[in-house]
Amino acid sequence: MSGNGNEKEQITLTIDGQELTVDKGTNVLEAAAQIGIEIPYFCWHPKLDSVGACRMCLVDVEKIPKPAVSCATEVMPGMVVKTATDEIIKARRGVLEFILLNHPLDCPTCDKGGECDLQDNVFNFGIDKSRQTFTRKRVIDTQTKTTFDDKRIGPEVWRNMNRCVTCFKCTRFNKEIAGEWDLGAFQRGSSTVIDAPPGEQIDNLYSGNVVEICPVGALTNNDWRYKIRNWKATKADSICSHDADGQNITLWYDHRQLFRATSRPNDAIDDGWICNIARYGYQYINSPDRLTKPLIKKGGTQVEATWPEAIELIAKKFSKIKGDKGSVCIAGLLGGNQSNETAYLFNQLFRSVLHSNSVDYRLEYTGLTDGEHSEAYNCLYDAPFQISSLETADCVLIYGSNLIKDHPAVNLRLRKAYRKNDAKVYTANPVETKSGDISTDELIYNPDCGTAFLVALTHALIDGKLYKNIDEAKAAEIKSLLEPSNLNEAATRCGIEVDRINYLASDLAGAKNLFILGGDYLRASSDRSRQANALYNLANLLDIPDSNSAILASQANSKGARFLGLSPQLPAKLAKTLADKWGTTLPESTGCNTSEILKGALEEEIDAVFVMGANPGMRYPDGPFVDAALDKLDFLVVADLFETATSLKADVVLPLAGWSEADGSYVNLSGMYQKFSRALKPKAGIKAGTEILQLLMTAIDPQLKFDLSSLSQNTRDVIDSWAIPQRDKEKFFPVKQAHIVDHEAFPYRLLIGNDLHHYGYLTEHCPSLMKFASEPYVELSTQLAEKLGIDDGDLLRIESTSGKLVLKSKISEFFEGDVIFIPNNFSAVDVNCLVSKETGGWVKIEKLDDK
Amino acid sequence: MEQVLFKYIDDPEQHKIERYIENGGYQALAKVFKDYKPNEVIDLVKSSGLRGRGGAGFPAGLKWSFVPKNSPKPKYLCCNADESEPGTCKDRVLMERDPHMMLEGIIICCYAINAHHAFVYIRGEFVFPAKRVEEAVEAAYAKGYLGKNIMGSGFDLDIIVHTGGGAYICGEETALLSSLEGDRGLSRIRPPFPAISGLYDSPTVINNVETLASLPSIFNNGVDWYRSHGTEKSPGTKVFSLSGNVKKPGNYEIELGTPLSYVINDLGGGMEDEQYKLKAIIPGGSSTPLLMPDQIDTPLDYESIAEAGSMLGSGAIIVIDERACMVWVAMKLINFYQHESCGKCTPCREGTAWLKQIINRIERGEGQNGDIDLIIDVCGNIMGRTICPLGDAAVMPTESIIKHFRHEFEYHIEHKKCQVKTDYPF
Ligand SMILES: Cc1cc2nc3c(=O)[nH]c(=O)nc-3n(C[C@H](O)[C@H](O)[C@H](O)COP(=O)(O)O)c2cc1C
Ligand code: SF4
Ligand code: SF4
Ligand code: FES
Repeated sequence: MSGNGNEKEQITLTIDGQELTVDKGTNVLEAAAQIGIEIPYFCWHPKLDSVGACRMCLVDVEKIPKPAVSCATEVMPGMVVKTATDEIIKARRGVLEFILLNHPLDCPTCDKGGECDLQDNVFNFGIDKSRQTFTRKRVIDTQTKTTFDDKRIGPEVWRNMNRCVTCFKCTRFNKEIAGEWDLGAFQRGSSTVIDAPPGEQIDNLYSGNVVEICPVGALTNNDWRYKIRNWKATKADSICSHDADGQNITLWYDHRQLFRATSRPNDAIDDGWICNIARYGYQYINSPDRLTKPLIKKGGTQVEATWPEAIELIAKKFSKIKGDKGSVCIAGLLGGNQSNETAYLFNQLFRSVLHSNSVDYRLEYTGLTDGEHSEAYNCLYDAPFQISSLETADCVLIYGSNLIKDHPAVNLRLRKAYRKNDAKVYTANPVETKSGDISTDELIYNPDCGTAFLVALTHALIDGKLYKNIDEAKAAEIKSLLEPSNLNEAATRCGIEVDRINYLASDLAGAKNLFILGGDYLRASSDRSRQANALYNLANLLDIPDSNSAILASQANSKGARFLGLSPQLPAKLAKTLADKWGTTLPESTGCNTSEILKGALEEEIDAVFVMGANPGMRYPDGPFVDAALDKLDFLVVADLFETATSLKADVVLPLAGWSEADGSYVNLSGMYQKFSRALKPKAGIKAGTEILQLLMTAIDPQLKFDLSSLSQNTRDVIDSWAIPQRDKEKFFPVKQAHIVDHEAFPYRLLIGNDLHHYGYLTEHCPSLMKFASEPYVELSTQLAEKLGIDDGDLLRIESTSGKLVLKSKISEFFEGDVIFIPNNFSAVDVNCLVSKETGGWVKIEKLDDK
Repeated sequence: MEQVLFKYIDDPEQHKIERYIENGGYQALAKVFKDYKPNEVIDLVKSSGLRGRGGAGFPAGLKWSFVPKNSPKPKYLCCNADESEPGTCKDRVLMERDPHMMLEGIIICCYAINAHHAFVYIRGEFVFPAKRVEEAVEAAYAKGYLGKNIMGSGFDLDIIVHTGGGAYICGEETALLSSLEGDRGLSRIRPPFPAISGLYDSPTVINNVETLASLPSIFNNGVDWYRSHGTEKSPGTKVFSLSGNVKKPGNYEIELGTPLSYVINDLGGGMEDEQYKLKAIIPGGSSTPLLMPDQIDTPLDYESIAEAGSMLGSGAIIVIDERACMVWVAMKLINFYQHESCGKCTPCREGTAWLKQIINRIERGEGQNGDIDLIIDVCGNIMGRTICPLGDAAVMPTESIIKHFRHEFEYHIEHKKCQVKTDYPF
C-alpha cells in the first residue's frame, strides 16, 4: 500500500527452535513457510478464509492443549511452535491415511498427477502402507450406487468424487470470491458430494478456477483432460488477449498445440483468479479454421497466393494510390488486441512510410463523427486507476458498465471490497447486472438517459451542499452548466426517484475512499463525451484523486495503441518522439478516425484501407454503414487469423499470427505494461504482425533500415513518454442530456455487447467457450416476455428501420423492463444490421409462430 | 425432592400464558427490569453458579460476560432446542409443557447481553414442541412480554422460532449458527468464539433450553436459595432422562449431587427385569464414556462424574443390563455418529466411516485379528484432532466400551458370534 504510515505491527515467535518476526495477522502456516518450513495442507488457500477442515496442517503450539490448525492460528508474540513432534507426525499420517481410505489411487491416468497436493503430501509426510482392507469406494448416491464414475457438472467441469479430499476450496471460491451459487456440497459426512444444484450446472464466468484450485484431480476440465501429462508440456508466461484487465496466465503447450491456460497470480491485477475467457480464450490459436495462405481476389473470388505475391501487390497498390491520389486516401485500422510491437510498426507504416495520419484502433464506437473524444473523456480514460486499489474502497459507483462482462478482474476486486472492506457499492446502468447482489442500490436509468442520471446526481450534490473545495457561487455556476436544469427534471428524465439519488449523493460525499468507474455502456454510447464531462465534474465536486475515477479501457491493448499514437491526432510530444525514432517527418494533413475513414470510403475520398486483426464488418455498430463503406473501397487489405465478414470483402487477405505466436507486450487498463512470451510458433504460411509490417514497409521503401532487436525497447520508450493528463480540479464542463432518436414504432431499446462467455469476434473459435454459448440469442426480461407471450427459445423477429433478424429468445431473470440484449460475438448473425445512426438502437419485436 | 423446572410439569394448562402467569410466571422478568442493570443480571447469574445444560456444563454467566459491550454490531441469543443426543428428551418436555419458562429465561438473558433478537432453533422432528413454542411466543407478544418496550422497560425483543432439518450436528453451537444463516449445518473452527463473532459475524450467546429455563427461578428466589440446591461447584437442580433397562424410564428432576443409584433404583424403579444384572451405565448421553456397576453410587454432579471417568453431558442416563452384547452397543453408537458427522473435517468424516466398517464387520462375525487395536489406533487419530466435539463424542464411548469389554470383541472375532446369548429387547 502507499506509504501512509500504517506499517504492519510485527510479531516475534519461535518455530522449530528458530526465532522469526512476521507481520501481525499472519498465520502459523505462512510464518513457517517464510523460514522454509513446510507444513502440509489441503484446505488452506491464501485468498480464501481459513476453515480448518482438512486437519493436515496440525502443529504443536505451547500452551494450547490440543494440536492446533496452523492455517487458522494467528501468530502471537512469544508463541512457541513445533511442526514435527511425534504426536504431530502421527496426526499427519493419520489424516493422510484417512484421506486415502477411499482414494482410487488412479494416479497413472489422473490429470492432476505430478501437480497433486495429495501425491506430494503422501510422498513427504505419509506412510506407504494402508491398513484399509475394504473396497475403495465412496458411495455417493445409495440409489444409483454411483461411485467412481466421472460426472460432468458443468460445460467444462468434470467431477470425480472418489478423488475428492473434501477441502471445500471449490465451493468456497465459488461463493466467497465469485459470489456464485452454482456449486455446492450435498449429502453429509463421508457421503458428501460436490455438485451443481439439481437441474443446474456450474457455468459461471469464473468456474474454471475451481478446477485449478482443487488440490487433487477431483475436478478436471474438458480442455485439458487426458490430453497430456503436465510435465511433458512447456510453459510460457502470457497475458489474456481479450479484455483490458490484463489477467496473467501461463500457457502450456508442446510442439503441436496449446493445451491449457492457468493463472499466473498477479495480485496487482487478478489476485490469482482468472475468468473463463482468459482460461479458455487461448483456444482460437489451435483452431483448424485458421487462415494459412495469403489470398488475392482475382475476378471477384479470393484465390490462394504466395506471400511475395501478396506483399508485392499491396506495396504496389499502396504506392500507386499514394502517388496518384495522395497519402490521405490510405487508412489503417488496427485491432485492439494487437501487441504494442505490431501497433508501433503499423503506425510507422502509415505515418512514416505511407505518410497518412488516418489510423485508428477504436473500432467499436458508434458516432465518432461528432468529433474526437472530449478532453474529459481522454483524461478519465488515461487515469492511473489500479485494479488492486479497488479493494481498499469504502464506496464505489460503477456507472455504465456491466462489470462482470466488461472487466472480470475488476469485478472480483469490487466483490472483494464489498466482502473484506464493507464497501458500499452503487451501480447505475441501463439494465440490471450481476453486481446487483452486492449493490446498496442498483439504479437503472432509462435507455440513453445516463447523462440525465449524472446530471441529477450533480444537482443532488450541489443542492445538498455535499461538494468539496468550492464555494456556493461556484456551485451555482456549475449548476447553470447542467441540462436538465434541476434535480427533479433530471431525475424524471432518467427515471430514478429523487430520494434514491439524494441517498446516493450523501453516501458518495461521506466516503473516505471513493471510486467512480465507467465502462462499456458509457464507451458504447454516442453520448459518451458528455457523460465523461459529467463524471469529470463529479470527480472534482467530490474531490477524489485521479486514480479513483476512470473510464475503463475495452480491449487487451487498447491502451497500448493509444499510448503509441494509433489515433489520428498526436500530442506534440508524442509526434516528436515518433519522428525522432523513425528519422522522418510526420505528415501534416489531419487524419481520419474510424468513422471518418468509413465515411471517406463511402464518399470515395479514401481508396485503400488496411485492417489488421480487426473485424469492423462484423463488430462496427452501424451495420449498413460499414458494409456500404467497405464495399466502396478500391483496395481492402485484411490481415487476420480467420475468414471474417471483413476479410470476405478484401482484395488481399494475409494470415496473421495470434498473440501467443510471437513475443510481445500489452498495456492494460491501468496503464501497466506487461510482456508476454511466445508459446508455440505459428504454422507455416502464417506470419506475425511485426513481420508482415516489416515486409510491407521494405517492399514499399527498400531504403528503409530496420533493427528489430530494438523494436521492443523503442515501443517501450514511446509508451513511457505518454504524458498522463491530470484532472484540472478547477474545471467544470457543461453537461446536457442529448435528444433521443424518435422511435415511436420501435418501443424496445436494443443493447449490443459481449455474451458473458465471449469477448470480441475471436472467442467463437474457442470450443470450450462455445459450450457456454454457441449461438446468438435475444435476451429479454421476464416481464417483457410475459407481456409479449414469449417463451424461452421462441423465435423472434427483431426489426429496426435499418434491418431485421430472426433470433431465439432467452428469458433472463436478471433483466427488467423493456431493454433487450443481443451478443455480437457470433459471425452467423449480423446483429449490427439493426443499428444505425437513424435507428438509435430502437427496435420492435415480433414472435414467429413456427419454431 | 424440590421440583423447580418440573414444578408445574403435570399441570395440563401450564403451557398457556394465563396459567403460567397465575403460577407466578413473568414475575422474575418484572423484577429483573425493575431492580437490575444488564451487567448486574450477568453478575447474579455468575454467582448463582448456573452451568450450561446442553452438554458442556460451561458457566452461563461467564459465557454472557464474554459478549463485548462496546461492539457496534447487533447481539444475538440462540436458544439451542435441537435436542438430539441419543437418550436425551428433557428439552422437549420443557417446551411442550412449560414453554413460557424458557421464554422468560430468554428475555432475561437478552436483556443481560443487550440482544434484541433471539432465535429458538428447534429440532425438525419436534413438530409438537415447536407448535407449543410458537403459540407461546405469540401469546407473549400479545401480552407485551415480547416486541417493543416490554413491560414498559424500554427494552425491545423479537423472538424467531426456527425449525431445523433434523441433523444431530445442528445442535453443535457453530453448526447451529451456520444452519440458521441458511448454510449447510457445518461446524466452524473456534476462535473466534460465538460470543465474539457468531451469528452473522456478530456477538452471539448460545444456551440450552434447560439452562435458560432455569433463570426465572433463580431471580424469583435468589442466589442463596439456588445455591442451597446441588453441590458447591454444581449448584441447582437438573432434569435427567432415564432410559434403557429400568422399570420406569422417564425425565426426573433432581438436585445435582444425588447418587446415580437413587435415580436408577428409587426413581426408575430398579432394573427392568431383576433376573438380568446391571452391565453398564451411560451417564450423560450417548457421547459419554461408560460407568460400571460398581460406580452406581457416583453422585450426579459435573465433578464426581468426571472423577469417575465419564461426563455428566446432557444428563441422559442409559442403563444397560447383561443381555446386551457390547459389540452391538458399540456398533449402534458408531453407526449413529458416522451418519451424523457433518463431514467437514477429515478425521471425523473418514474416521467414523472406517470405524463403522470395522465394528460392523466384527458384529457380523467377520472381524479380523488386529481389528481391536486398529479401532483403538483409529480412535486415537480422531480424538482431539477435529473441529467440533462430535469426533470425540464418537470416540469416547467406543474406546470406553473396548476398555471395559474387550473380551466380548475378542470373542466375536474368534468365534464369529456373540458372547451374550440372550435376545436383547431392543
Ligand atoms: C455434536 C454436538 C451436538 C450437540 N447437540 C446439542 C443439543 O442438541 N442441544 C444443546 O443444547 N446443546 C448441544 N450441544 C452443545 C452445544 O454445542 C452448546 O455447547 C450448548 O448448546 C451450549 O449451551 P449451554 O451452555 O446452555 O449448555 C451439542 C454439541 C455437540 C458437539
Ligand atoms: S472437489 Fe477438489 S476442491 Fe472441491 S472439495 Fe473436493 S478436493 Fe476440494
Ligand atoms: S468433528 Fe465431525 S461433525 Fe464436527 S466438524 Fe468435524 S466432521 Fe463435522
Ligand atoms: S490446511 Fe489447515 S486444516 Fe486444512
